[in-house]
Amino acid sequence: MVKLAKFIGYFLFFIIALMYFTPKVSLYYFAETKVEPFGVVVTEESVVDNGLRLSLKDAVITFKSIESAEVKNVDIAIFGLYNSIDVSSVTLASTVATFLPTDIKNINISYSILDPLNILASASGGFGEANAKVNILDKKLFLKLSPSKLMSKKYRSTLRNLNKSEDGGYEYAKTF
Amino acid sequence: MQKLSNTSMLKIISRLLILLVIAKVISLVVLYILPNEGVELSVEESYQPKYQRVDFKNMLISASKQEAKKEVLKSGVNITNMILKGLYGIKDSGFIIVALKSKPDDTEIVEVGSKYEGYELIEIRRRSVIFRKNQTNYTLDLQNAKVDPKYTKERPKNINTTTVPTTQKVVSKNDIQHYAKNPKDIWREISIVEVKEGKEIKGFKVTRIKPNSKMATLGLKKNDIIIKANNVVLKSYRDALKLYSNIKDIDVMQIVVIRDGVEKEIVYEIN
Repeated sequence: MVKLAKFIGYFLFFIIALMYFTPKVSLYYFAETKVEPFGVVVTEESVVDNGLRLSLKDAVITFKSIESAEVKNVDIAIFGLYNSIDVSSVTLASTVATFLPTDIKNINISYSILDPLNILASASGGFGEANAKVNILDKKLFLKLSPSKLMSKKYRSTLRNLNKSEDGGYEYAKTF
Repeated sequence: MQKLSNTSMLKIISRLLILLVIAKVISLVVLYILPNEGVELSVEESYQPKYQRVDFKNMLISASKQEAKKEVLKSGVNITNMILKGLYGIKDSGFIIVALKSKPDDTEIVEVGSKYEGYELIEIRRRSVIFRKNQTNYTLDLQNAKVDPKYTKERPKNINTTTVPTTQKVVSKNDIQHYAKNPKDIWREISIVEVKEGKEIKGFKVTRIKPNSKMATLGLKKNDIIIKANNVVLKSYRDALKLYSNIKDIDVMQIVVIRDGVEKEIVYEIN
């Protein structure tokens, strides 16, 4: 029993040391090369390695060379057993204003070993509140939106692309 | 003999140090493998002046047409960039007043038989004139004229004729500013979808125009495919949005659409 406890202790120490020493900035650059083929490029960001977390500040996200959003702060934590990305203060480009309110307060994307098949995401902002779940195995995205008054009033055409749910919200499902 | 240190503690510390070294070595290997620079946005900046539609096909003609080629290179002005402001005379006698769209006030008088921007004036008709260049006849309609069909149907025999119809419209700057501030109003009045050939965007098709709206007065029609704006080929949403974001600074806008399989040019004077 003592031996097992020692092994777990050493293992955790090794994992934490590995996470601490891992070049997170380089990992981030590697991730950038992986999303580039999809047309997503993050520019003007300052990347800071905070030991166990990585933070990005003042990033501009372009999609297919179109400036799409400005992000004030992104906090990435990769602990293996629990991983999360917290995004705060997102301003979407004015060209998107036709479809959505441009301010997003925060977005949280998380993946936990306790729910290994699903990536969870939640967001809130001018559009209301949204929760999404991506099933890795079935490659399915399911989104549930509780629209704000502004969204319900001024962005009906966007809401028409979603299905109405029984609780008054909206749902969207997509397989990729 | 007294123990100088706790051996089990030393054992643990040395193991932890070994684990630290291993973790560090692994991270150095990862650092060596991974990129040390992020992805930068590569933007193809291209300067394309307004109303400078140079047809490069003319530059690639065979060596036997070298002289004609030189003439084309010297001019570089397309017939669609000209405005016919007036005509005096008929058939092979008389003169016309012509200008470039980029300099509408800089008019020039051209006699039948003489050249303007590399185009030889060969005939004056009731509401149009015929220019010739490289054995091809071009019809230039009188500005704001309603063209009599009998004149447009006439074609010289054994000579290729290319006609690019042009329409000129005047747009208020206030309207532009209104649409720039309220992009939703644009999509209330008009719907546009991309036209793709494989993965490439070939243009933007007008699928709906609200009747009697401001957009409807701009000369666009349902099923028009917008392929160029101010001589920029619209191959991506970025091209279209770039133009949209700079619209406040533009005084003249020229768009080229394909209507019923024929290229048509619409020029907007913004004032």
